Amino acid sequence: MVDDLDTVLDTPIGDSPDPGEFIRAAMRWHFAPGTGSPFWLARARTLDFDPLTDVKTVDDLALFPNVCDELRDVRAEDLVPRGYGENPDVCGFFESGGTTGRPKRVVVLRDWFVRSQEWISRSLDAHGVPRGVNWLTLLPSGPHMAGYAYPQLARDRGGHGFSIDMDPRWAKRLVSSGRAEDARAYADHLLGQARYLLRSQDVGLLAITPPVLERLAADDELTDLVRKKVKAIIWVGTHMDASTRDLLGSEVFPGLALIGFFGSTMMMHSCSQRVTEDAGELVFDPPSPYITFRVVAPDSRKQVDHGARGQVVVSHVSRSFLLPNNLDRDEATRVPGLPGQVGDSLADVTPVQVFDGEAVIEGVY
Amino acid sequence: MSGTSDIVRLDALGPGGAYRSRNIQTVNDIRGEPFAELSLVPPLFVARTMSALRKADPLTLEQRLDAVARAGRAFATGTVGGLSAEDYQHAVCRVSGLPWVTTEKAIEHTLRYTERAYLSSQQARPAGAVNDWRHPRTRNGSGVWVRRGEVFAVHAPGNTPSAHTLWLQSLVLGYRVAVRPSSREPFSPHRWITALRDAGFGADQVALLPTDHATADEVVRGADLAMVYGDDEVVRKYSSMATVLPQGPGRSKFLITKDADWTSHLDTVVSSVSAHGGAACVNTTAVFVEGDPAPLARALAERLSVLPSLPPQDPKAVLPVQPLDSARRIERHLLATAAGTTPWLGGDGIVDDLGDGTAVLRPAVHQVSRPDAPQTGVELPFPCVWVAPWSPEAGVGPLKDTVVLTAVTDDETLVDRLVNEPGIANLYLGDHPTHWLAPGVPHDDYLESFLMRTKACVR
Repeated sequence: MVDDLDTVLDTPIGDSPDPGEFIRAAMRWHFAPGTGSPFWLARARTLDFDPLTDVKTVDDLALFPNVCDELRDVRAEDLVPRGYGENPDVCGFFESGGTTGRPKRVVVLRDWFVRSQEWISRSLDAHGVPRGVNWLTLLPSGPHMAGYAYPQLARDRGGHGFSIDMDPRWAKRLVSSGRAEDARAYADHLLGQARYLLRSQDVGLLAITPPVLERLAADDELTDLVRKKVKAIIWVGTHMDASTRDLLGSEVFPGLALIGFFGSTMMMHSCSQRVTEDAGELVFDPPSPYITFRVVAPDSRKQVDHGARGQVVVSHVSRSFLLPNNLDRDEATRVPGLPGQVGDSLADVTPVQVFDGEAVIEGVY
Repeated sequence: MSGTSDIVRLDALGPGGAYRSRNIQTVNDIRGEPFAELSLVPPLFVARTMSALRKADPLTLEQRLDAVARAGRAFATGTVGGLSAEDYQHAVCRVSGLPWVTTEKAIEHTLRYTERAYLSSQQARPAGAVNDWRHPRTRNGSGVWVRRGEVFAVHAPGNTPSAHTLWLQSLVLGYRVAVRPSSREPFSPHRWITALRDAGFGADQVALLPTDHATADEVVRGADLAMVYGDDEVVRKYSSMATVLPQGPGRSKFLITKDADWTSHLDTVVSSVSAHGGAACVNTTAVFVEGDPAPLARALAERLSVLPSLPPQDPKAVLPVQPLDSARRIERHLLATAAGTTPWLGGDGIVDDLGDGTAVLRPAVHQVSRPDAPQTGVELPFPCVWVAPWSPEAGVGPLKDTVVLTAVTDDETLVDRLVNEPGIANLYLGDHPTHWLAPGVPHDDYLESFLMRTKACVR
């Protein structure tokens, strides 16, 4: 129930709308009193520019301040664009993992969710992932988007979704409080539940985070079960190094499709890795202009050159939500996007490194 | 080990043989020039290697002893992985800045230990235990000496190649062993694992697992038992884990009471401070003197001041060398630490710039005013010694937290207290340098006490 004439905002992802037209339509939608969300309409009054006249291109999104912190406290209903009317079809208010403090909250409306899911499904086809198989997902559920989206994807692709709860905040809390052993016990607990499902059920696809996948790959029985039953593994999260991908692909699970996804609740989407012959290359292309990436120097916020590393800035622009210019906690190598894409693609995404100081450590070892 | 251009390639050595990772750490020499490439393995590689080691059966005792002895000879004198013993010594010196004397002593040490590995380990067997259940004594009931686990992991130190002879004992006992090398000096463990494989240990018996800092814990966790070298923080981290043997700072000490004539032990004190380049845990960190410590401090400073400043790979080199900026950092730390003490040597600094981006760390001698001065616990990786007054009233308190204490004294009551003091790991009496070691003598307890247990058996 979309009350707007700017149908460019409803273009299917693969059809690549004209980016300028798209951005201008999105500004009209989010900053018109009848269609914008209470959050953005109020926030617009504090901006030192006018989104309706000053934001004409994807590059102009950089004018926006990073409003992420405000998403920790804002009333969730105030995030829903008024244009969706009295009974908006809200899939959910999804939350970040809480890495950088109290959780942040976004809203996902049905129209965006469907479009995002269709695009992910198409990229799975491109990677040769079979349809009609059951999925086992070991992903964050609860307030996070992954646990909502992936089991649904299994159903959309003709299978059933088996899912196991995973609370990433608890895992992070265990690690940050020095309870690494407890974090491992938690991962074992997750794998224990996966073991029952893999022993007894038909599971053709495994969707899992890199750390849990690595634990699984060190377990002989689980490795055998996956080799026997599973046709493709999707790892979801930000980072798996090339050596680990090599090992998994060549020695642990030879012949299985192993596909990385870079996504987050704050992106409201997951980008699959680019289809390529080179196992060493891991590039994520965003569905622009809905989602665009920039790679910037952390201090100056200036864009780095192609091939250089920097911090990732993500912008999400859809009818469902506007979250421009969000400086992410990840760093990546900036690489050129695919033809027709606006902005950068990302290679070798890793969490931002914290470097040690210069102190002399006493002792001789 | 194979060379691409001039860069030495140090592959990981896993169950499938040499493994070249995509994740390469460049190991620079002390002038900052790239010298070697270390293949860093991901956690999954560690987990799979540990699993392979655990599944493997140990070689027979005879095969193990034969292989350890042959590996020792190859390590000391042969060409291993394409490097002659001399090339290996050069590599260690160029990368770690450890002086030539350190590699020489390590090779000497290696030959002494690998020939006697079995006899050494037998020194640690409890008197009530036999090695095999078939032994006649088990007919009436006896202890049998058995491994506490199958896989032993070692976070190896980079301060002296001699340290590696310690974990070799675990191979003799039938453990399968994974070594995580120090990136400061990965050559010795790479040479050891290669030599052991050449000598007959399978790829599922011994492994080399270079990792980044974050993955290092996986090596410990994947093993049944582990030995980890590090600073106080490392000791704190692991001290509550029964499966980990932390090896912390040595803080070795030398005590001379007033019934002894220090002048006749000066050679031994000088050697205790400066042998191995002063970079070993068994080098003396503090000297305690009953009475006025100033004359000994002065004499020690005179003797240490004449040690030559040379590039580390010079056969006459005895002092460690570091990149200039890192040497300056250590110097600043020393000068700040030494505030309020009386300098006898190195009071203006210890950096001797060699002009090629590197600097020698020259010896330092400082006198502190009290036996419990905090400086006496400051161990730095070069000949750096704190000279402190001591009196019977000060007691054994200041002498604790020590790997080796050499005590020159006639006071048997004091010796009784030192022997019984748990905070002193080893006690040498009389004119023995703190770095003295011999096969069959425990270093910091017998490693076998950690690796083995006795099991009752009757038949």
